[in-house]
Amino acid sequence: MKRLLAFAALAVALAFAMPAKAQTIRILMETVPDTEMIREMLPEFKEATGIDVEIEAISYIDMHTKLVPQLIAPTGTYDVIIVDFYWVAEFHAAGWLMPLDDLAKRDGFDLSVYVPKVMETTGTVDGVTYMMPFYNYAMGLVYRKDLLEDPAEQAAFKEKYGIDLGVPKTWDEFRKQMEFFTRDTDGDGERDFFGTVTQAQRGDCVMMQSSNFLYGNGARYYDENWNPTLDTPEAIQGITDFADATMKYSPPGSEGFCFDEAVAVMTQGKAYSIITFNNLFATINNPETSAAGGKAGITPVPGGGLMGAWGWAIPNSSPDKEAAWTFLKWVESYDIAKRRALKGSAMTQTALFTDPDIVAARPEAPVLGELVATGNAFPVFTYTVQFVEEVGREINLAASGQKDPAEAAKASQEAFAELLRKDGKID
Amino acid sequence: MRRGRLGGLAAHGVLVVFCAIIALPLLWMLRVALTDKLTAYKLPPEWGSPDLDNFVAIFVEAQFHWYFLNSAVVAIGSTVIALPLAAMMAYAFARYDTGGATLRLFVLSSQMMPPVIVVLPMFAVFLGLHLIDTWAGLILAHLSLSLPFLAWLLVAFFQGDVRILEQAARVDGATRMQAFLRVTLPVTAPGLLAAGLLAFIISWNDFLFALILSGKPTYTLPMALSAFQTQRGVEIAVMAAGAIVAILPVFVLLPFMRRYLIKGLSLGALK
Repeated sequence: MKRLLAFAALAVALAFAMPAKAQTIRILMETVPDTEMIREMLPEFKEATGIDVEIEAISYIDMHTKLVPQLIAPTGTYDVIIVDFYWVAEFHAAGWLMPLDDLAKRDGFDLSVYVPKVMETTGTVDGVTYMMPFYNYAMGLVYRKDLLEDPAEQAAFKEKYGIDLGVPKTWDEFRKQMEFFTRDTDGDGERDFFGTVTQAQRGDCVMMQSSNFLYGNGARYYDENWNPTLDTPEAIQGITDFADATMKYSPPGSEGFCFDEAVAVMTQGKAYSIITFNNLFATINNPETSAAGGKAGITPVPGGGLMGAWGWAIPNSSPDKEAAWTFLKWVESYDIAKRRALKGSAMTQTALFTDPDIVAARPEAPVLGELVATGNAFPVFTYTVQFVEEVGREINLAASGQKDPAEAAKASQEAFAELLRKDGKID
Repeated sequence: MRRGRLGGLAAHGVLVVFCAIIALPLLWMLRVALTDKLTAYKLPPEWGSPDLDNFVAIFVEAQFHWYFLNSAVVAIGSTVIALPLAAMMAYAFARYDTGGATLRLFVLSSQMMPPVIVVLPMFAVFLGLHLIDTWAGLILAHLSLSLPFLAWLLVAFFQGDVRILEQAARVDGATRMQAFLRVTLPVTAPGLLAAGLLAFIISWNDFLFALILSGKPTYTLPMALSAFQTQRGVEIAVMAAGAIVAILPVFVLLPFMRRYLIKGLSLGALK
């Protein structure tokens, strides 16, 4: 008993004896390879400025939950945070982020180096800069090059549809290709090769991918005055295409897929195409991790794909804003951004995509630049997170055959309009 | 005789089915931990060439031993503090009806609140007390989870036959505290061990409090495992290896605790 009490006392004393944290910059980032790339370069930053940097990386799924308490507090733990583009309006409305324009002007940091579409989605709110884009995740169409180049496939496609088989430039072409490549290869009556892989799981998963189906049909979420446009014939067709793709051209179970499961189908060599984040192209095309390795290509989604990105931000609860800004200027300087790009980072500055050294190391860089420059912005307003949940639910219901696409479009329109009214964007 | 045998076989058959339902996911996880990501997702399943690379990776690259230490310190710390406090609280409820039904319900009501409601105010208070990113902070947070639950669980143990033994000790001249420490606790030790194991598991498995209240130096195993969900996909094979390592302590403890666990969980039923 005495030993137990002594042990307990020691444990308690030890627990309370954890040393107080020294004043260093603490950064909260996602678990992506780019985080590791920056971590490796931190000794240089320390040598140049004398500032210590601690990077904490957690999965994206937990990021919003972890960030909110930190941002509410008068002084949080983190000096720099990474914010997803669709939280920036929410965080700005709550007054959690520090504007960066004055600091950029004071120190001569040129914010026009970023791709305009990325800056528009991720960097600025109502013309004021709150974030510096760090990591783009524009979506592209990843396809099997070897199937497109196969003469037998080309002949069969031409015979069936009367058009050439090639890298799809129009949405209609892609629709035909999805149908064409869905087949039963072993004659057992079950489809075992699929034209595409959808990810219709509710929430983020379905919204990210289905947006491309809407854009491909010429639909948009809202007009220039923020009036929702989810019940237009183009939007209904987009939802219908997504539902068809999920139920007819994608593996069984796609109603519950998210990014990981969907990419796994491609890496097992069981699908012709997937609309996914451009940074997953490397995984799909790597022979060590994918049966489609060396046979994949990437192209912009016909009609323009979804534009998404994360950005660096300095929260108002940052304990050391000046040191945080010093870090941002360093990590987003052209030299450091280029070195990150050469290691395979997701680029956000215009010049990087056509830099000769980067193109030599990453031949797909110009295509990625096109993807990023032509991407369409997702609605970014105070209630984007709720919008993703509510409209995502409707699209999932349509994709799993539980709701008619037109009804799902109407319900999505109403839900979106309600949230916009709540945000004061429309009457 | 034959009916007895058939009955026995049928009973065992049902038990095998239920065991399979519980054991198969764990065995699948072990299989994934011994392969790589590409093989892990293949359907129909392939075995590939099993190796221990993922287990090496989680310790060498992911520094799992530090998260293991954090989880161990927090779980043992919260259990060691919760048990005596919960035992004393339960004893007071059982013997003296302290606070009556009102206090008991009040203690129970704290368990009815979803932890997500509690964690934000807790963060604000801990921030002011410099308890964020400390073992002490996490231990205190986990105490709020386990203490009420353990107190409720232990009340039944103290209401059992042990009362008679206590009275005998008091008649022999023991003080209340002496009777409690020297008679009640040893007799109800199986129950206390069972409760302690539950408190350990509650702390070991907690994710929400660890997410909000800890920082990188104090990450526990659930936080470390969640980090394998990257934006380049879930690192399923490494994550499976990490999960196997994370559940290992309970597997190791269980054979030693099994006798006490069964005895302890049923002891409270005897009044």
